[in-house]
Amino acid sequence: MKVGIVGVGFMGTTHAAGWAATDVEIVGFCAETPEEAQSIAPQYQARIYPDLKSLLNDVDVIDICTPTHLHHDMVLQAAQAGKHIICEKPLARTVEQAQEMIKACRAASVRLLVAHVVRFFPEYALAKSVVRAGQIGKPAIIRLARGSYRPKKPVGNWFLDFDKSGGMLLDLMIHDFDYARWIAGEVDSVFAKSVGNVWADASIEYGLVILKHTNSALSHIAGAWAYPPPTFRTGLEIAGDAGLIEWSSDSTAPINLLLRKESADAPDVGLPGSPLSESPYTTQIKEFYAALKDDQPTRVSAEDGLAAVQIALAAIESAKTGEPVKLHRLPEAAA
Amino acid sequence: MKIGLMSFAHLHAEAYINNLRAVPGVDMIGLADEDAQRGQHFAQQFNAHYFDSYEALLNARPDGVVVCSENSKHRALVEMAAEAKVHILCEKPLATNPIDSQAILDVCRKNGVKLMTAFPMRFSTPLLEVKAQLDNGTLGQLYCFNATNQGEAPRHLRAWFVDKELAGGGAVTDHTVHLADITRWYTGSEVIEVYAQTNHILYADEAEVETGGLLMLTLANGVFASIDCSWSKPNYYPTWGGLTFELVTDRGAVLVDAFKQNLTVYRHDVRRPVWAYWGSDANQAMIDEFVAAIRGDRSPRVTGLDGHRAVEVVAAAYESARTGQPVRL
Repeated sequence: MKVGIVGVGFMGTTHAAGWAATDVEIVGFCAETPEEAQSIAPQYQARIYPDLKSLLNDVDVIDICTPTHLHHDMVLQAAQAGKHIICEKPLARTVEQAQEMIKACRAASVRLLVAHVVRFFPEYALAKSVVRAGQIGKPAIIRLARGSYRPKKPVGNWFLDFDKSGGMLLDLMIHDFDYARWIAGEVDSVFAKSVGNVWADASIEYGLVILKHTNSALSHIAGAWAYPPPTFRTGLEIAGDAGLIEWSSDSTAPINLLLRKESADAPDVGLPGSPLSESPYTTQIKEFYAALKDDQPTRVSAEDGLAAVQIALAAIESAKTGEPVKLHRLPEAAA
Repeated sequence: MKIGLMSFAHLHAEAYINNLRAVPGVDMIGLADEDAQRGQHFAQQFNAHYFDSYEALLNARPDGVVVCSENSKHRALVEMAAEAKVHILCEKPLATNPIDSQAILDVCRKNGVKLMTAFPMRFSTPLLEVKAQLDNGTLGQLYCFNATNQGEAPRHLRAWFVDKELAGGGAVTDHTVHLADITRWYTGSEVIEVYAQTNHILYADEAEVETGGLLMLTLANGVFASIDCSWSKPNYYPTWGGLTFELVTDRGAVLVDAFKQNLTVYRHDVRRPVWAYWGSDANQAMIDEFVAAIRGDRSPRVTGLDGHRAVEVVAAAYESARTGQPVRL
C-alpha cells in the first residue's frame, strides 16, 4: 500500500511517524511550498510532490493533514482520483462541505477515515469501554474539558483565522463533541457561550457548551485557548446511574518536573503528553491501515466526522446568537 | 444574646447548633420543631432545650432564630419570627419560588428585623482569598465561570430533599443557589438570563425530582457562568460532593476547589478512602456574622435580597428546562 501525505505541519509529521510503524510505503509529501517538505521527506525516503494532483497519481491512500478549510477541495479531488482518504479533524469547515465530501466518497467507493484521535487515547478509549460494558450504568451527566493556549505558528497562523479554522469551538472542542456523542449518542440541541463572542478583542478564547442528547443525557464541554504555554490539560467525568468515572490529566500525570526553567519555549500548538509505549496517533494510523487493508470498519466513521462538525457549527451559531440550536438528522448521517 | 433554632428538617441545623454554642456571649436557648419526634431526637442528641411549639420558642424572647425547615416552609416560619420582632438567619434556598422569597423580604422589612440568607460560601476562606485577588486586580479581567456544585443524592440524609412539594425541586433547587450567589458576589452584577437543561437518569426509580442539571447564567456585565448542580457523586464518594469553579480571565484561569483542604484517610473498617476536611469552618464564620450584625445593629454581609435573587435564578432555570429556551430575568 502506498501512502501520500499532504500537509507537513504537526499533524503531517505525526501521521508520517504513525505510517512508518506499518508496512505501507510513504511515497511522498506535498506542502504549500516544496521547501516546507524538505526536512521531512528524506527521513522516509519519500519524494516531494509539487501538488496534490501529482501526488494522487502515485498513491493508494492520501492522508490529508492540511488546514481545515482545505479539506473539502482535497477530499473531493482524492475521491475523484479513486483514492482512499484519511482526513484530519475537523472533517470540514462547514456541514455542507462535510455532506458533499461523504457523498463524493460514497459515489467513488473510496474510504473516508476521519482522524478523531481522542478516540484512540487510552484513557478515553478505556472510559468508553467501561461505559460500553455497563460498569457505570446509563450515562447521565458527562463533563469534558480540553484547554491549552492560542496556537502560535510563526507564519500563516490559520488557526486564528476564523474563516479557515472555525476558531477554538471547531478546531479544539470538536474532539469532545465527538467524544460526548460516542459516549451518550446523538445530540438533540446545543447551547453555547464563548468569551470571543462577548469580548471581541479578548486575547484568549474560552467556550462552554451544553449538549442535550436525544436519550436525555447531558454533556458539559469546556474548551480553552486561554492558559499559559505550554499548558495542555484535559479531563473527563462520566456520571451514570450505576457509577462514576473521573479522570484528569492534572491529577494523573506520572511525571512532574520541578526543574528550574532555562528558557520558556513552548511548541506552536499545545499537546497532550502522558508517556506511553505507543503514541495514540500511531494507534490511530495502525487501525486505519488495518481497516483499509482488510476492508474493516474503524471506531470512527466519516459519518461521525460529519456529526461532530454539525455539533461544532451549532455551538458556534449558538454562541453568536445566544439561542439554543436544535440539530436535525442529516441524510448523509446514516452509513 | 439569645438565639434559637426553628426546625431541624435541614441537616445543616446539626452544624449550626454547635456553631451557635461556639460564639462567646451567645445563649443557644434551644430548638422547636413541628415534627415533635424529630425535634426531641435532636434536642436529646445535642443536649438542648426542646420547645413544644414555635410559639413557645418565640415567647422565650430570643434575639435571633435560625430557620432550618423544609424549603417550602421557610416563609411561614420567617413570618412568625418577623412578627415576633426576632432577627432571622434562614437556610438556603430562601424559598421555593420568588413569590415566597419576596414575601419573606417584605415581612422582614415591615417588622424591622434583619434577614440573612445562609450562604456559607461567602465565608469560605479560599473563596474570600480569590475574591480579594479579583478585587485588587491580580487576576485580571473576569470573563466567565465553569462551576460545579455536585453532591450525592441527599435522599439518604433527609427524605424530603427529593420531595417536590417540600423541597421545591431536586438538584437545581439544592445546588444552584450557592454558585448563583457567588457569581453575583464576585462580579457585583446581576443575573439577566438563565438557560438550563435537566434530566432524571440518576436515581430514576428513587427520586421524583430532577437529579441532573446543567445551567448557563449570563450577567449584566457580560460575564457568563455554567453551573453543574447534579447529584452525580455516589454516596460512597470520599466526601459528600463539592463546589469548584474555574475563573477565566484575560490573564488565564484560576482553578478553585472550595473543599480541597482535606486529609485522605484509609480505614480498615470503612474500606474506602474518606476525605477529612481540615479547612476553616465557613459555617462558623457565617454564624459569627449573623451575631455580629445583630450586636452591631447593621445589615449582615449576606442579605435576604441575596437569597431572593438566587431563588429567582432557580425559578428561571426550571422555566428554561421546561421550555428549552433561555429565560430573561
